[in-house]
Formats: sequence, structure tokens, C-alpha cells
Amino acid sequence: MNTAPGVYEGAASVIAALMLLVEFGMLRQALVRDQVRLYAAQSALLSVLAVVIAAGRDLPGLYALAALSAALKVAAVPLVLRRLLGVPADRDAPGVAGSYTLSPASAVLAGIGLAAFGFFAFGAFHLSGPAAPALALAIAGAMVFVAFGLMIVRRDVASQAVGFFTLENAISLAALVVAAGLPLIFETAFLFDLLVAVVVFGMLIRAHHARAESLSTADLTRLRG
Amino acid sequence: MSVALPVPVIQLLQVLTVALGAPWVTGLIAKAEARLQGRRGPRVLQPYYDLAKLCRKEALAPERASWFFLAAPVIAAAAYLTVPLLIPVLTTYGLPLGYMGDILGGGFLLALASFVVATAALETGSPYAQLGSSRAKTFSAITEPVVLFVVFTVALLTGTDLPYALAATVRSSAGQVIRPAHLLASAALFMVILLETGRIPVETHTGTSEFGMIEEARAFEHSGPYFALLTWGSMLKQLILFTILADVFLAPWGLASTRQPGAVLLAAAALLAKAAAIGVAVAVIDNLFAKLRLFKITEYASAAFLLAVMGVFTLYLGGG
Repeated sequence: MNTAPGVYEGAASVIAALMLLVEFGMLRQALVRDQVRLYAAQSALLSVLAVVIAAGRDLPGLYALAALSAALKVAAVPLVLRRLLGVPADRDAPGVAGSYTLSPASAVLAGIGLAAFGFFAFGAFHLSGPAAPALALAIAGAMVFVAFGLMIVRRDVASQAVGFFTLENAISLAALVVAAGLPLIFETAFLFDLLVAVVVFGMLIRAHHARAESLSTADLTRLRG
Repeated sequence: MSVALPVPVIQLLQVLTVALGAPWVTGLIAKAEARLQGRRGPRVLQPYYDLAKLCRKEALAPERASWFFLAAPVIAAAAYLTVPLLIPVLTTYGLPLGYMGDILGGGFLLALASFVVATAALETGSPYAQLGSSRAKTFSAITEPVVLFVVFTVALLTGTDLPYALAATVRSSAGQVIRPAHLLASAALFMVILLETGRIPVETHTGTSEFGMIEEARAFEHSGPYFALLTWGSMLKQLILFTILADVFLAPWGLASTRQPGAVLLAAAALLAKAAAIGVAVAVIDNLFAKLRLFKITEYASAAFLLAVMGVFTLYLGGG
């Protein structure tokens, strides 16, 4: 019989598991708008987890981090992404035709394989920080691999950029687990790194779109030597 | 009052609660759905009247159909009525016949019922009945892995695969409820139940287009009391699945822990209330989503599979 985790560990793991499920949701979504929305939801979950850890482990610094992270990743980054992609919030942006290299069901099955690898690879470390259970770290590992998978199976730059940003969410989750008490200044620095990445990706997306008149990366295959 | 009901009576009451309550739950869902759509809707007791009406009608069978065509509804109803003996319907303690079979045993009975109905549909030679049964079999094959992984989760959580043991585990502490494995497995099971009871996003159970039908099409050629048995059977199946979800996974509270008549009756009322709550949730889902195209059902099943597999994963590192 498996012993139950405490309510606090259980809640932390459940939030981490929800983040992983949102990551899988992105694998399935065809529309860029929905992917950005899911990214915002995932970031919101990360902030909630930070608040839970702050309350449960008495780390007041994490409240500030949660607020900052929510302001940036739930509000600012999705807004910037939408503006860069030229997608008004109230209008449906078309998905990029032919973006799927696998059917959604196969992509999910491949994602389960990747998640299993990440999960057990990170789980083998048996690292558990004071703040969150080891399970959350393993889930973060699974998220890293699924985010890579998302970038690989999609053929449009927007999905790849969103995949990259969720990679940062996964790393933040891992950081929360193993080093919740990390000085706020470092965490903030990481957050602003993300902003740089958003701007760089935005430039790349726009440049690619201007040159290829499409968000699809299928044309880039011609550039092989 | 210290009168204790004999165990066989409680066992019988388990079956009776499901048998008599199932049409009520179906009627309630129909009513809730109608209210959500701004209609007045049928009476909650309408399914009882429908069944009574069907029982008074003449039964016809296609010319070439064998005895099996008429036996199938009876076998299916018998299988459905056996399942409530195996799962905690009214009591927290296992009743003697409750150990005849585990979760897999209950699953086999449900599969047997669905198999005989599908075979009877093949007997008719009617294209729509065959279409329905072939689809039903295809999709139940797709959801089979999900159910297996849910059972694995239960087995890892409790060390057994008895439904009573899981219900007791869930009741034991709040930590058992807020653990990812339990929540993920429950969510996966709920998705399977939506699929198995012919609900949106998989199927519109009230639809009249034969091409959109899966479960509903199988009974096309049956009539009279046999059709009543099949209809009642699908109501029974729905309440059984709701009971498994409520009394084993989500809310195994309100069950009788003694043999007092009052406690047992209260448990019966609690079960119907829980089933009604799940039914209303299902009706809300019915109204919020659009029906999936047939070939999108694999995506739906893969999402359920994902939840169930993650549930098993999280248990492996401990603390899941």
C-alpha cells in the first residue's frame, strides 16, 4: 500500500501535474491564440504554486516572485506575443496549415513517451528540496522534454517560440522545487532573461514572416547544404 | 433502534437501489439538459412511463434472427444487475458476494453485456445497428487501455484491486484525496464514463441522425419489452458507472457503516443525490461543448490515456 503524501505535498504535486497537462494541451492546440492562452494559464499555475510554497514553507520572498512572475508571464508576455504575431485578442488567428508533423493523437502518445523519459530520468536524482516534493521535480523534468517535443513536432515558428517559453516555465518549476529559497535577485534576473528571449524570438518570427510570407518553417528545409 | 438488517437484505437493496434509481437519474439528466437549453423538458419520472409503455407493446424480431437476438437484452440486463453486488453501493463494509469479483470482474460483466448487445445487433442484418455495434466495439477497444491504467493506479494505491479497498483508502485521509494519482485517475475515469454513456463530446445521445450514433444505434431492431430491457440496461450502466465514480473515487462518503435500516436508507438517498450531482455536471458538459467528429474520438481517448498514464507515473516515485 502506498502511503499518502501530506496535503501540502499533494497540493504542490497536483499543481505541478496540472502544469504538465497544460503542456500537453499545447501539443494539441492548432491555433496560436489558444497556445498563448495556455501559456498564460501555465504561468498562472506556476505563480499559484509559488504562493502555496510561500505560505506552506514560510518563505515571504516567494510572494514577491509570484507577483512579479504573474505580472510578466500571465499578462505581459502573452500580450507582447499577440502583438508581435499581429493577433488581436478578440479575433481568431488561423493556425499555420501543415504545422502538424504528427496527428494530435500520435503527438500526445509521443509526448507520453518523452514525459516518461524525463520523469524517470529526473526522478532518479532523488532530489527533494525543503519546499516541494521530489515528484514535482520529476514532473518538471517531464515538462522539459515535452516542451522540446512541442518544438520538434510543430512546423511553425510561433509554436516553437511558445514551446521555448514553456521550457522556461519548466525550469522555473524545477528551481522552485530544489531551491525555493534562492535569493530573489537571481530569480528576477531569470525572469528578465525571458523577456530578452521574447523580444529575440519576436524579431525572428517577424523576420521569418517577412521573408517567407508564412510562419511555417517548411521552407527552411531548402537551406540544407 | 437497534434492529440490524440481515446482510442478504442489504445486498438485495444494493441491486434494487440501482435498478429502481437508474431511470430517475436518466430523467433528471434529461430535465437538467432541457432547463439548460431553456426548454421545460419532460417529467423527471418520464423514463418510468416510457419503460412501462414499451413493456405493453408487441415484440417483433427480424425474420432471420435466432434465439440469441431475444436472449441478448435479458443477458445484458442480468449482467448489469450483477455489477452492483461487486461495488460499494450502500455500505462501507464488504458484503459477502462483494468479493466474488474485483474491479476487473465488474469490468468483464460490463463488457459481456456490451458484447451480447453488439452480437444481437449483428444478428439483425440492419446496417445501422451493425454500424453502431462496430463503432461501439472499436471505441471500447480504444478506451480499454485507459481503464486498465486506472485499475493499475487503484492497485498501486491500495495493494489490491477491490473497489471497497479504494473507497476505504480515499476516506482515510485528506492526503489521499489531494494526491495527483487519485485525481488523475478519477479524471480519466470520468472521461471514459462520458464516452461509455454516449455523451458529448463523443456522441449526442438524443441525436436522431443514424450516422452520428454509436451506442444508441445498437438497439434499433429491438421492440417491445426487449427494447425496454435494453433501454433500462443503458440506464443501469450509466448509474453503475456514476456509482463507481462517486462511491469509489470521488466521494465515498455517506455510505452506511452499520446494518441499521436508517443508515442503509440514508446511504441509498445519498447515492442517488451523488449520482444526480454527477448527472447535472454531465448535462452542463453536454451543453458547453460541441460533439466531436467521429475520427476525433481517438484524440479524446488519447487525452484520457494521458491522464491515466500520468496517474501511474506519479505513484512510482513515491508521494504521488
